[in-house]
Amino acid sequence: MTTPNPLSRRLFLQRAAVGTLLATGGSTLLAACAAGGGDDKTGSNTGADKSADNPFGLADKATVEAIIFNGGYGYDYVQFAADIAQKKWAGSSFKVAPSTQIAQQLQPRFVGGNPPDLIDNSGANQIGFNTILDQLSPLDDIFEANNYEGTKIADTLYPGAKIPGTFDGKFIAMNYVLTLYGLWYSDSLFKENGWEPPKTYDDLLDLGAKAKAKGKYLFAWGKEAATYYHTMAVDGAIKEGGDEVRLALENLKENCWSMPQFQGIFAALEKMVKAGYFVPGGAGTQFTAAQAKWSNDQQAILYPSGSWIENEMKKATKAGFNMKGIPEPTLTANPKLPYESLRSAAGEPFIIPAKGKNVAGGKELLRAMLSKEAATNFAKTRLAPTIVKGLVPADGFGSTALQSQSAMLDAAGTNIFDYQVFGLYGMNTDQLVVWNSFLSGQADAAALTKGLQEITDKVRNDSSVKKIPVTK
Amino acid sequence: MTQEAVPDGGPKRSVVRRRRPLTFDRVSFMVVFLGVPLAVFVIFVVSPFVQALWYSLTDWSGFSSGMNFVGLDNYVKLFHDDIFLKAVRNNVLLAIVVPIVTIVLSLTLATLVTIGGSGTGTVRGLKNAGFYRIVSFFPYVIPAIVIGLIWAQVFTPSSGILDAVLSKIGLSGFENYAWLGDARTAMPASMFVMIWGAVGFYMVLFIAAIRGIDPSVFEAARIDGAGRFRTAISLTVPLIRDNVQTAYVYLGIAALDAFVYMQALNPGGGPQNSTLVMPQQLFTTAFSKGQFGYSTAMGVVLAAVTMLFALVVFTVNALTGGRDQRKVKVRR
Repeated sequence: MTTPNPLSRRLFLQRAAVGTLLATGGSTLLAACAAGGGDDKTGSNTGADKSADNPFGLADKATVEAIIFNGGYGYDYVQFAADIAQKKWAGSSFKVAPSTQIAQQLQPRFVGGNPPDLIDNSGANQIGFNTILDQLSPLDDIFEANNYEGTKIADTLYPGAKIPGTFDGKFIAMNYVLTLYGLWYSDSLFKENGWEPPKTYDDLLDLGAKAKAKGKYLFAWGKEAATYYHTMAVDGAIKEGGDEVRLALENLKENCWSMPQFQGIFAALEKMVKAGYFVPGGAGTQFTAAQAKWSNDQQAILYPSGSWIENEMKKATKAGFNMKGIPEPTLTANPKLPYESLRSAAGEPFIIPAKGKNVAGGKELLRAMLSKEAATNFAKTRLAPTIVKGLVPADGFGSTALQSQSAMLDAAGTNIFDYQVFGLYGMNTDQLVVWNSFLSGQADAAALTKGLQEITDKVRNDSSVKKIPVTK
Repeated sequence: MTQEAVPDGGPKRSVVRRRRPLTFDRVSFMVVFLGVPLAVFVIFVVSPFVQALWYSLTDWSGFSSGMNFVGLDNYVKLFHDDIFLKAVRNNVLLAIVVPIVTIVLSLTLATLVTIGGSGTGTVRGLKNAGFYRIVSFFPYVIPAIVIGLIWAQVFTPSSGILDAVLSKIGLSGFENYAWLGDARTAMPASMFVMIWGAVGFYMVLFIAAIRGIDPSVFEAARIDGAGRFRTAISLTVPLIRDNVQTAYVYLGIAALDAFVYMQALNPGGGPQNSTLVMPQQLFTTAFSKGQFGYSTAMGVVLAAVTMLFALVVFTVNALTGGRDQRKVKVRR
């Protein structure tokens, strides 16, 4: 028996190969087929008249759709608020759905002109703000309205609540959760060893030596979160040099990473890396596993992070850990901004697309979230304050970390700063690479400076990226 | 249909090929068997390609319906983008190493379980060949993302199995070694995972191909005094050349993609971007930087590289005598 037709078999194989090839190419490109003709109709607000009780003119029996990032804080706190709103507006329906892929899931809906009414645009897959700025509804009237208890909302919030959500002078994102950045440690471990929480980079170096004597490391890091050290260094430099440093970064200045404040901090960090004060292998460790080396194994004694850390590591924290936070260290003992100053900003940006079917409904749901009941529920269950002030009791619902957060905010007073440059231009992915190399000792301070500068320069020189100048 | 078969072809054909009446049968037949597949192909394959080409020439952000035509700007930018070029180099490296190593390994295993057995009696595989076959096929049953996550755990410093075993046997330098976090080992480690996941499937493919060869060929070779190695190199490989070529193209395409494995092992692109691949860069550019036009240009380049790769494989195969070998097989 012979093969009936070897040629056709060969052709078949070739075609099969080419077929797959087309299929592979096709799938890569398929993502692009989404931009149909998005019509430019604006949200139809066939709503009721506006009144003090119905400030946004929510229509009777309206439907509201909210897509909420389901990350460290979950999404049920929005459901909680939706239930309150539902009770108030009998007959309306407030639908809350979770997502971890905000950009991927909502991209076609933005293009198609039918986005949801409320979005928590957060997490690793958030939509870059500079791409959707002109499609968002301004939110100023929410803060002007009265809350469910009858007080003007603006009067119930921490000062500066609008700042992190204001781009180019337009307030378009309401950041709900108050976040501050600091260094976190176990109070019980520090007391046991008689260690003092460090205030400067020299203190850190001293503490590193003491920790090493006890067979412990100063810091731990994970590959997806190497940039927490970036945040610590940048915040330290801003405290050290004041607005001059911050504005240089925000406006993507040439040689901004060569400023003496950065160089001093990078040199100190390089010393720590060289001295082996970092738990080795971080560049290959998943970040929550790395954080557990600090919170559970206590191999490392300090961790720089945002105030979400307590909630994030709740299940992987040693009993009796007594987590406490302190402000990020400065380079010298005499910084321009006082040591107590903090990088603090509200996080979890909630946005309302202007083209949504029910803009008033999205705003109404935000108003429900800002009610005393919903905001207290959040603080109590997530152990993090919202932008609504005065809802965390002195005992911090029994959490030492939450107590220290309140203390840090009190001590900082008006010395609060924030910057948006790295998130705004999506620079984190590129910065992670540089920081992982640096923290694992494969790059020195000079290489770190060069790497960070290249990332900044690339954004500055890219004419297709819309820049947002920052002046104050 | 059979009536139309003209045995001696030639001039007569033109006489036969005249227009026939378009009956309902013929029309419906054409619509269903020609029209529908063609429409599916045009709508789901051709039109996305054309659309993608168009988007790659615009500055579309991906989140609005507006865009401006920017000509070849995206492509110019692409060839000055050091991170993307690094990703291209990584992909090319993967497309060279992964297929070769996988094919050599799977071919060796396939030979062992089919003709590598006892030197007397009929030509057969090793003892318990069925067992080895199942064991090596096993990784292919697991989804790629799971393979990636499992190996990411194995490679984890200090608590991963690999470092634990290595430090147990006295190599203390590996106690906290970050296999995926060191630029020297991240790429080889990632390649290893991809190869581990693919060997079983290609082994089964090659076994099927070897089984398709007339056993008397192997017996004749053995009678002529050819050893196992000689048989494998001079008989098996030439006879299943087509399968090897197809395997190479398939593996190459998998390596040019590699998104799933790399995203599971090193979502950020690895130390110094040493494991960053084009699809990862495309994904970040599109979704976290909001530059769909630019990332579509990356997609077009990826498609071009893939086609180029297939072309190179076919050409190399043809030039190294793929055709001659096939004739030998036909004569058989």
